[in-house]
Amino acid sequence: MHELSVMAYLLESVEERAQKIGATKVTAINLVIGERTSIVDDSLLYYFDMLTPGTVAEGAQLAVRRTTMRFHCVGCDADYHPSGFDFKCPHCHTVGAVTSDGSELLIESLEIET
Amino acid sequence: MSVHSVKLVTIGENLLASNDQAAAHNRDRLSEARVLALNLMASPGAGKTSLIVGLLGALQGRAQIGVIEGDIAGSIDTEKVVAAGAYDAVQINTGGNCHLEANMVERALIDLDLASLDILVVENVGNLVCPTHWALGEHLKLCLVSTAEGDDKPIKYPEIFAISDVIVLNKMDLIELVDFDRDFFYESVRALNPKAPIFEVSCRTGEGLAAWAEWLLSRREELLCVSPS
Repeated sequence: MHELSVMAYLLESVEERAQKIGATKVTAINLVIGERTSIVDDSLLYYFDMLTPGTVAEGAQLAVRRTTMRFHCVGCDADYHPSGFDFKCPHCHTVGAVTSDGSELLIESLEIET
Repeated sequence: MSVHSVKLVTIGENLLASNDQAAAHNRDRLSEARVLALNLMASPGAGKTSLIVGLLGALQGRAQIGVIEGDIAGSIDTEKVVAAGAYDAVQINTGGNCHLEANMVERALIDLDLASLDILVVENVGNLVCPTHWALGEHLKLCLVSTAEGDDKPIKYPEIFAISDVIVLNKMDLIELVDFDRDFFYESVRALNPKAPIFEVSCRTGEGLAAWAEWLLSRREELLCVSPS
């Protein structure tokens, strides 16, 4: 739902960076997006194709590295991904604590031509 | 033939960094004016406007409250909060956008008399996902959820519970009617957010509103170093 705004901010930021570092063309944009953001890749790609023509990123490759939400179980001293029904540890069934994994919304790197 | 040099440039920056900067600017303006700003986030129908109306009643004569109303369309909520005693209210119509952004709030701040306000409530667009990414310049993020929505909201929308500074559970008067498992709700919220206070209220009966309003005033005193009124 919010992918259009996310893409608009991304491209604005990429344009700004490209200008700053003297890039004539951006050939790849590498993102890290966590599960907790609820951002959908297909939707992101749809808006990427819609918004890039005429920009420095026209024709660029959009690569998204996904990370997942993790909880930490103190008793088992291990991280786990929740089942979707509750936040219990799959081994000991106590409820752990969420970690920061999966909350990323980053521009990791750009591949540019100068 | 021209020769292009291709290189990989590491960025490692938040994709919404420019929004974060605009939000920081808004927060500075609000802090300077000693206005505590609250980003009120909830799904449609959870009782956002009713919670503001309840706050206005609870703090009547003790705090001047301004409101920014974010809606896809219409100004019915602005009229409601003004009628309920808001000092000032500004409507933002996003025209379809599912959340408010810092630059929208920046424009709305121009129309508010900040020097006369103590608290600014920004009512975000009804949505449990999109508003979580966009900081607006608030001092506190509030997640409002109601018993009628179900006890599984933290499982389905973890991020909003994880990032909020305070959680308000509304429609407590309906809890027996809607099969809301209170223990399961608390267990899930605590897994995501061990610290945020949780206030149980009913905007219909008024139950719990005073305690929440007092907490908000005390946070204003702490965060903005103002003395109690």
